[in-house]
Amino acid sequence: MKQVLVIGSGISGLACAIRCAKLGLRVELVSPYPSERSQSVMAAGGINAVTDRCEAGDSVACHIEDTLKGGGFLAGRDAVTGLCGHGAEIIRYLESIGTVFSVNAQGRPNYRAFGGQTYKRTYYCGASTGKQIVTALVMEARRFEAAGLICRRLRSCFHSALIEDGVCHGALLFDEGSGALEAVCADALVMATGGQNALFGRTTGSTQCDGYAAGRLFTQGAELKNLEFIQYHPTTLLTPQKRMLISEAARGEGGRLFYDENGRRVYFMEDRYGPKGNLMTRDVISREIDAAGRPVFLDVSFLDGRIIDERLPEIRDLCARYAGIDIHTTPIPVQPSVHFFMGGLAVHLNHETNIRNLFAVGECASIYHGANRLGGNSLLAAIYSGNVAAEAIAGRSGAGKHPDFGKMLREERGKLEKRRQTDSRFPVMYVRDMVAETMQKQLGIVRSEKNLADGLEDVDYCISVAERINYDPNVMPYFNYSLPALLTLARATLQCALFRRESRGAHYRCDYPETDAAYQCATLIAYNGGEPRTRLDKEGEYES
Amino acid sequence: MRVDILRQQSPESAPYWETFEYDGPMDNSVAGVLDYINYHDDVVNADGKPSIRVGWDCSCMQGVCGACAMVINGTPALACETLIRGLKAVELRPLRKFPVIRDLLVDRASIHENLMRTNMYIGEYQPSTENDHAHQYAAAKCLKCGLCLEVCPNYVNGHTFYGAAFANDCYLVASRNRAKAKEIGAVYAAHFGRDCSKSLSCVDVCPMKIPTLASMAKLNRNKAR
Repeated sequence: MKQVLVIGSGISGLACAIRCAKLGLRVELVSPYPSERSQSVMAAGGINAVTDRCEAGDSVACHIEDTLKGGGFLAGRDAVTGLCGHGAEIIRYLESIGTVFSVNAQGRPNYRAFGGQTYKRTYYCGASTGKQIVTALVMEARRFEAAGLICRRLRSCFHSALIEDGVCHGALLFDEGSGALEAVCADALVMATGGQNALFGRTTGSTQCDGYAAGRLFTQGAELKNLEFIQYHPTTLLTPQKRMLISEAARGEGGRLFYDENGRRVYFMEDRYGPKGNLMTRDVISREIDAAGRPVFLDVSFLDGRIIDERLPEIRDLCARYAGIDIHTTPIPVQPSVHFFMGGLAVHLNHETNIRNLFAVGECASIYHGANRLGGNSLLAAIYSGNVAAEAIAGRSGAGKHPDFGKMLREERGKLEKRRQTDSRFPVMYVRDMVAETMQKQLGIVRSEKNLADGLEDVDYCISVAERINYDPNVMPYFNYSLPALLTLARATLQCALFRRESRGAHYRCDYPETDAAYQCATLIAYNGGEPRTRLDKEGEYES
Repeated sequence: MRVDILRQQSPESAPYWETFEYDGPMDNSVAGVLDYINYHDDVVNADGKPSIRVGWDCSCMQGVCGACAMVINGTPALACETLIRGLKAVELRPLRKFPVIRDLLVDRASIHENLMRTNMYIGEYQPSTENDHAHQYAAAKCLKCGLCLEVCPNYVNGHTFYGAAFANDCYLVASRNRAKAKEIGAVYAAHFGRDCSKSLSCVDVCPMKIPTLASMAKLNRNKAR
């Protein structure tokens, strides 16, 4: 029986594992924590699909066009067609496994309006859609765990892929319980490790998603794509511990953005873009808030109180708990924050990277969202990509005999042991914090050549010292061994942002404020033996 | 502000108390305090002696993942949801119902093992006729954080009573798939219904405010039928 190693147990990892198991493959589902701790549970607003119960006039073709347009026409049409074409099937599937959707009078999943979309098509579960889907998928995975087809490996972290001659044969895993590195061979390795939030410090996302896997695989030969496209979510609430997402659902239900000018409320999005101004795409709203240069508020207090209590209870509770705000009566102070990464591992339509048998799904893969993601498309892509990768793996023969990776295992064990033997108190987190500060500052909503060059200089300094410092052995070994690859990823991201001399979607250059047709293709970056090389994907290398 | 932490360097070593002085912002949460102690400066305890970083779990930092469950001033709670405003001191202990991995990190694998052992999955969605959508929505938000088990007088890790997290999943499965109601009724009785002494302290500490009493009532009624 074919063996599949899935790294990450959020929604995309679960979807892939379940589909693999259904197809008769045996899966090891690897994660440091249970699925309930994954970033997927924080996805709030909903999941897009055009079903047979859609709004009059809506169609899959319209969903495709909205997705391509929202993404600045960078995503491949075939990929987006596949994604949107499977929306209805995915909603049916989620319903069939018992996901607790918010429902209409007939008891069927309900939908709401979301940004950048011509029609209402975002199916939702209150404002905890991700959590409700995780609960249903965890149960479904448990069915296959009981049948012996899915085996969970908890407290286990990805270290490296096992690659020889351009073919992946599994992964080196670090077991936090035993403190040991282990080489686990498989016929396919699926990365479902999420975005790069922690590389930017405090964002809306989980502290666990840091982009290490993408950075490490980059150094091992996997190509990365569109790293410069980083989504700032326009409405987050700043608290001392993090930036908390105020879901787009608040605006989908009618919430209005405004700022105060001489005691008068200015509804700047409506003034500029008309009645649907509050539901413009996230890149546009974030730039408008940034340009406003003063405190901006999101008001839902005029809505019927029952709509707030029934459809936005999580937002109501979050604002009350962390800011002492009653959203029934008081507007919410909001700021844009790093939220989602359109860039990541470059994958073909079947979600395989440029390394054979190495797949990437969910947020760590870059394929559907182009220069800016529409709200509600990430949950759809998470499930769809997991399914696509599973089908591709099932459809090919196994790799057969795996090479001996004993030498690599011994070398990496040696490096880890050396780090353990130090008595340094220098926390690796200080370097991570320094890089996060640089990334936040230099890869903001508005960028320039000078910003980005300064960022590169800062990161290069960190890289130059990173290998010379001994780190505190009392910090999780993962934090110690992950640092060099994280810094490499940070550098690659800055390099891609420098390379794209135009403005498109979430990438806005004040020195190149116009969109340039010459750049209407994805950015690819290859490690190239430590001299990373960027290029535009003019030939559509990943469009097949 | 004084912060007392019950520490333990490994599963095998003896626990000990260590005190830290927190001088950060007072609009922080306990999670923010732990982050501040670990990374604001070199870690020094209240006696001025160098110490080592405090082990604890976090992921979402906004009360939706359950990673940072611990005992705070005697009450089981999520560190990221517990604000320190108005507190004079903070005392932190790991959840005592689970094996300690290090400091405030505990091994809660048994929660998932119990659910797997009892085949707790919905399978095909065949809703019951009861109109209790809000209740199902709440039950599906269970974080598996273990707070309800920490406070439960009947729950002992590794024993056959599985506690409120299990009972709420029983309710969710039975209500989403009526064909499994009988099977679920049997495992509910064996691993919850028979031994719950109804202290209901689980309801008070649940960060998701899941109406466990209502779950119990519905499962007991199913059984009576």
